[in-house]
Amino acid sequence: MDNDSLSDNRPYHPARLRRTILEMAYAGSTVHIGCAFSIVELLAVLYRHHLRYPGNDPMSAMRDYLVLSKGHGVMAQYACMRELGWLDDERHIRGYFSNGSELKGLSDSRVPGLEVTSGSLGHGFSVGVGIAMGLRRHGTDQKVYALVGDGELNEGPIWEGMLVAAHHNLDNLMLIVDANGFQAMGRTDEIIQLGNLSDKFKSFDFAVREVDGHDEQAIDAAVRALWQEQPGLPKALVARTVKGKGVPFMESRNEWHYTRLSPETYAEALAAIADGSNS
Amino acid sequence: MRKAFSDALVRLARQDPNVLLLTGDHGYALFDDFRKHCAGQYINAGIAEQNMVGMAAGLARTGFRPFVYGLSAFVPVRVLEQIKLDVAHDNLPVVFLGDGAGFVYSHLGTSHQSTEDIACTRAIPQLAVLSPSDRYEMTACMDLAYDMAGPVYMRMGKSDRGDVHSGPIAGLKAGQLLQVRVGRQDLPVLVATGSMVRTALDIAEAHLDASVWSVPSVKPLDEDTLCAIARSGRGLVVLEEHSTAGGVGAAVAEVLSEKQPSRILRVGVSDRFSAHCGTYDYLLHEHGLDADAVKARIDAFVRTF
Repeated sequence: MDNDSLSDNRPYHPARLRRTILEMAYAGSTVHIGCAFSIVELLAVLYRHHLRYPGNDPMSAMRDYLVLSKGHGVMAQYACMRELGWLDDERHIRGYFSNGSELKGLSDSRVPGLEVTSGSLGHGFSVGVGIAMGLRRHGTDQKVYALVGDGELNEGPIWEGMLVAAHHNLDNLMLIVDANGFQAMGRTDEIIQLGNLSDKFKSFDFAVREVDGHDEQAIDAAVRALWQEQPGLPKALVARTVKGKGVPFMESRNEWHYTRLSPETYAEALAAIADGSNS
Repeated sequence: MRKAFSDALVRLARQDPNVLLLTGDHGYALFDDFRKHCAGQYINAGIAEQNMVGMAAGLARTGFRPFVYGLSAFVPVRVLEQIKLDVAHDNLPVVFLGDGAGFVYSHLGTSHQSTEDIACTRAIPQLAVLSPSDRYEMTACMDLAYDMAGPVYMRMGKSDRGDVHSGPIAGLKAGQLLQVRVGRQDLPVLVATGSMVRTALDIAEAHLDASVWSVPSVKPLDEDTLCAIARSGRGLVVLEEHSTAGGVGAAVAEVLSEKQPSRILRVGVSDRFSAHCGTYDYLLHEHGLDADAVKARIDAFVRTF
């Protein structure tokens, strides 16, 4: 199977991103496939339409920042970095998790293109608040997107950071919640109820929108609207997503937080993605 | 010593507009000068230390030079993982200022006392650990922390114990040990950090004519000089207002056991929390760190040679 089998070759095609994720997960025999699948459309829209990397340089001082606070979804970000030409197919994709390799199973900021070392949860958002504050002090129009998991919202520092972001009117900062309804051990609502996230964020003085996290047009529209509306307020996008989205036997099946691909499930998953993309 | 700290911070901030002071809602009065002269570089991050350290990492990533202030029970101990992951892992230029280390908050109890901060920070790669003993070392350590342009933890302990140096220290280097007294070569060398340098000097001047060295840079530590110090007397006594587990005594023992096997007496806090409340001197006494108790331990150590 190659890219041509997909019906659409536009950059960041979600099916192609998912296929990269599967290729990496199979090559490295890794876990966290479900965590990556739920954020594919979110990242596709951000990389395609919003994130600016002057000179296609992941280290450009004038770039926008995508802070992957939920480091467990990092394969989705690798897939986007592959689209940008920042990764080498042999070394990074097929060689994922080989001894001595650079790309880890969680976000590591020493990799150009990744902004934080995360996966210990509740770190990235605070770093994003600091980046947004730094950019504001520089007076640039650069933007910071901090993507957290809904399970990650159990972590206190995120709520500390929201208070600080609102206090400092960091309207160059967007918190994006991958609300897939699951965390490591089960459903978020059964472990720690999150309640109405939009209402919570509004009460923290954030401009808030809720969106279907797999509808690219809706995501794009919501991101654009958030940057336009309620100047002075930091932004929050609550994206309703499906963990494992794109492969029916993985969808909302939390074991795909942990399960590794076999030759059979790998083939089935690839076929499911190709079918989905052509249907 | 606190004035030296404030003066150095204000001077660095005025020289470099990228220097920012972040405080976790601590430092009442201490930052009056800073807020007067560098108001735009002052950020009270609130009582939210974990977020504060993450923010400092973000600010450093965008070119700023954050100095993050808190009580050492909180910065660095409460936020150790943020220091490790958000800052030290990427070698970001953030200076952590942990005030009130040791038993400064003697009446407040365990939550505000800090005798494990050196042990915690010393094990984090790329993080330097400084521990000034008087106003001159404070100034030198602040300059060193800025010049190192990487992650630094600076421990600020009891600040009113008097000078140990006679004047300013020019160009303190990372790892450098400072001799503050020359004594007899047939006695143990006293090696101390922070508040305990003054104690060591008092003992050497009044009781035991020993050489005294100060350790303002716990990590890195000039290992060659340390070996030379070990050869210059009969054994060493290491004094610190910190746990003997993982502190300066442990650091000295780690080096010398491999490079210059020596008899070492570690004088510090045993593996225990404070039992009672009282004055600073009372707590030193409770932990066997008052001058009389230390003298007795050194005397006993000398008798074993």
